[in-house]
Amino acid sequence: MDLLLNLAVNGLATGMLIFLLAAGLTLIFGLMDVLNFAHGGLFAWGAFSGVWVYDLSGSFWLAIIGAILTGLLLGLITEYLIIRPVYGNHVQQILITLGLMMVLSELIKVVFGPDQKAATPPAWLDGSLIVGDVILIKYRLFIILVGFLIYGVTYYILKNTRIGLIVRAGVMNKEMVQSLGINIRMVFMLVFMAGSAMAALGGVLMAPYSGVIYAEMGLEYAILAFIVVVIGGMGNFTGSLFAAILVGLSQAFMAYYFPALSLAVNMLLMAIVLIFRPQGLFGLKVSKN
Amino acid sequence: MKKQKWQNSTFIYIGFIVVLAMIPFINDSRSLLFLIMQIFIFGIFAMSYDLLLGFTGIVSFGHAMYFGVGAYSVAVMMDSNEATVMYLILGLSAAVVIASVVSFVAGILTLRLKSHFYAMLTLALAGLFLVAAEKWRSVTAGSDGFIIMIPDILRDHSTMYLLCLSVLALLFFGLRRLTQSPLGKVLIAIRENEQRTESLGYKVVHYKVIASVISGIVASIAGGLYVLTLRFVDTSVFATDVTLDALLMTIIGGVGTLVGPIIGAALIEIAHHWLSDLSDVHWIFERWIILFGTIYILAVIFFPKGIVGTLAEKLGKRRKQRKKEAEQSKKIAS
Repeated sequence: MDLLLNLAVNGLATGMLIFLLAAGLTLIFGLMDVLNFAHGGLFAWGAFSGVWVYDLSGSFWLAIIGAILTGLLLGLITEYLIIRPVYGNHVQQILITLGLMMVLSELIKVVFGPDQKAATPPAWLDGSLIVGDVILIKYRLFIILVGFLIYGVTYYILKNTRIGLIVRAGVMNKEMVQSLGINIRMVFMLVFMAGSAMAALGGVLMAPYSGVIYAEMGLEYAILAFIVVVIGGMGNFTGSLFAAILVGLSQAFMAYYFPALSLAVNMLLMAIVLIFRPQGLFGLKVSKN
Repeated sequence: MKKQKWQNSTFIYIGFIVVLAMIPFINDSRSLLFLIMQIFIFGIFAMSYDLLLGFTGIVSFGHAMYFGVGAYSVAVMMDSNEATVMYLILGLSAAVVIASVVSFVAGILTLRLKSHFYAMLTLALAGLFLVAAEKWRSVTAGSDGFIIMIPDILRDHSTMYLLCLSVLALLFFGLRRLTQSPLGKVLIAIRENEQRTESLGYKVVHYKVIASVISGIVASIAGGLYVLTLRFVDTSVFATDVTLDALLMTIIGGVGTLVGPIIGAALIEIAHHWLSDLSDVHWIFERWIILFGTIYILAVIFFPKGIVGTLAEKLGKRRKQRKKEAEQSKKIAS
């Protein structure tokens, strides 16, 4: 029982971190029709800048704010310089964002040094919580909490505010939104920045969770995020939450019971979804060829 | 029957190949030959990538897996049996079979969907192969890798060089023939306008899968040659860096031309060689990827056709202009 619960908590925490990456990816894809392969780079940048701030200031909250600011800034620059010139050309978008990914993860090595960096959770999140005879690691619970919080806030913004309405309408039909006199480019930029900030937040939360951060972690987690986006349905926000939890849980349980198969299982899930429901488990749109 | 005429460019290429074939007889330097062999091998690899990206308009982010499959098939076959030419050929055939199965499955799964899916699936698949190679230690020896023996004939550097060159030449002319064939024309049509090609009655998915399979096979041959020259294999053949190298070479050299990727391969390999040497001078040279990544991004935005494509366009324009001028002057003269 203890083991099962711990594995579940572990899986949920991983799932939440992947969700933070995948949510930005899926919203950007749904709205702008851009699949951002550099998203993992933003994740890694969030982790490194957050840990840097944490080491300097010793404040966990400042670290999170620092990571989010990094994400917003990088998102702004990326959207303006990299994505804008290649709107509407899928092949070019894929190529250029992967190029950016390459540059971003090399730049990490230049700015923060080429070595791995250790990261520890703050004192008040260190250690574990003992409920009855079940031991739960505090930091993992914290990640799960933050994940649901971010989901809730974003969901509220999407459903109940004017900007959310515009974003949802933009996902459905961006020409129509534009013709109603809304500056869709501005909305693109905001969503892109928000998505980048979420990825960076995921990165900084990830750092104490795995204990060590390295420049290549961006691509590793991006692969999981892509699997999540495919399973959840491209452009589907809630779908990406469920898919991320699914992938996180299967990752955690497989890593314990069949360690060799943990990545294979997620791949298999993705392959099955691609064969039978290419629009994703939660996708409503019939896939356009 | 009309006799097929040879293209002018064919003679130029053959001339180049003859010149390259002389190099080992002029300069027997080991490191020089090794560098040129790497250029040949990555040239083959980048050409296979270009068949997908430049000719069919498919973006693959997992090309390293075909390269790795080729490398490990040859290495494992020669390691577990004898290092003879026969087992080399057997290993290469195994590489071709495995690569074609993998590329077929990847293609069937995702090529009917938007281009993002193929890129994502191949990226994830390549990740899977990398993990598998690291975990399956009994066969691959994990990330430590293992040294292999190679057939006695190939021990001589010049022979190895000539083998690489002839494989490159063979595959280059083969792929050139392919891209100029009706099949190649359909592939280019898919790149230009997929819906239109579909409505003209071509089964677009079939053609894309064919391109994916051929590209996978050629890439696996490059991987096989790579282990032969290195006489060593480890899991780095599956790394994303290998795919990124192919991307850089193809984009910077010129997409949609077969010469472009080879020139790109030469540029990147030489730069890699030189800049790594320079890292003693200043550590920034070790991060040469930043430089090339930036060039790559700029190339995607400003020179989407790369070096060869841009040059060819300029030359073509000038030739056209000259022709026009000549015609005009003829008109005036008459």
